Amino acid sequence: MSEVRLAAEPRTEFGKGAARRTRRAGKIPAVLYGHGSDPKHLALPALEFARVIREHGTNAVLKLDLGNGGSELALTKTVTTHPIKNYIEHVDLLLVQRGETVKVAVPVVVTGEAAPGTLVTHELAEVELEAEALHIPEQVEVSIDGAEAGTQIHVSELPLPEGIKLFTDADALVVNVVPAPTASDMEAAEAPAEAEAPEEEAAEEQPATAEA
Amino acid sequence: MLIPRKVKHRKQHSPSRRGAAKGGTRVVFGEYGIQALEPAYVTNRQIESARIAITRHIRRGGKVWINIFPDRPLTKKPAETRMGSGKGSPEHWVANVKPGRVLFEMSFPNETVAREALRRAIHKLPMKCRIVTREGGEF
Repeated sequence: MSEVRLAAEPRTEFGKGAARRTRRAGKIPAVLYGHGSDPKHLALPALEFARVIREHGTNAVLKLDLGNGGSELALTKTVTTHPIKNYIEHVDLLLVQRGETVKVAVPVVVTGEAAPGTLVTHELAEVELEAEALHIPEQVEVSIDGAEAGTQIHVSELPLPEGIKLFTDADALVVNVVPAPTASDMEAAEAPAEAEAPEEEAAEEQPATAEA
Repeated sequence: MLIPRKVKHRKQHSPSRRGAAKGGTRVVFGEYGIQALEPAYVTNRQIESARIAITRHIRRGGKVWINIFPDRPLTKKPAETRMGSGKGSPEHWVANVKPGRVLFEMSFPNETVAREALRRAIHKLPMKCRIVTREGGEF
């Protein structure tokens, strides 16, 4: 993954009022830290940062142009989003150096169509791996083209590029292809749930006139 | 119906309805989900009713996840009772849902059918909700 250039401004005022002013100005409050250095408080352009995340994923390596002429390489550590409005509220950035290996979570993407009459369950959305900061794969693709019911793909079977160390348990299930449940299976699953008598509730309920 | 197996206190204070969900705001297990847009107490009956609405519509070939659990008891005094004489008896089990929380998730090969199933489930719930997708979590 190549570096993405992004202009960052240093922040001088802090707290929720200042953070809200920054957001209203079309910027995202961010903090940059790592390698034992003091944290730097920054403001990133909101639209440009969102585009970078959308196009390159959350593991994009950013080349931050700091206001004073210096530049730093950084990796996104945490992106805090609003629970409903879906805009980015804050970003944590981690300083990285060229040649340094970093531990990141990379999304697993399922491609292809399984055999008809099957249900594909995507059990593991991302795998944790260690890679060189400038060569982090954007995603790990796993093909399920024509996979029959009963096919199970584990972490150990994922195709990974050279020089990448996997941290997720090799036996963990990534994709499970099962026979699609029939209508009778669904009804059978519903029946015990409906028949289950809430014993505690019945015991705790009192007649309506008890306290009248 | 969902109900706690054992509770520490039979009667509790009503849970806080302030603020937004801190976690569980993205679709992580399935492909589509129902996200709450308002705070609400969702009873175990409503959860069960919504689940049935989904499973009856998709009939076969899908999977449903319920991400909330009704772990808070709500009490009620009997009708036409004078005030006082202690707290009422437990009536409902509710999940304290805050805006942003993903309540149900499902995976199904056909998006149109999945959306219709979730739309039917939303009608069983006591607050405004919307359908969200796993990819829709991007900015």
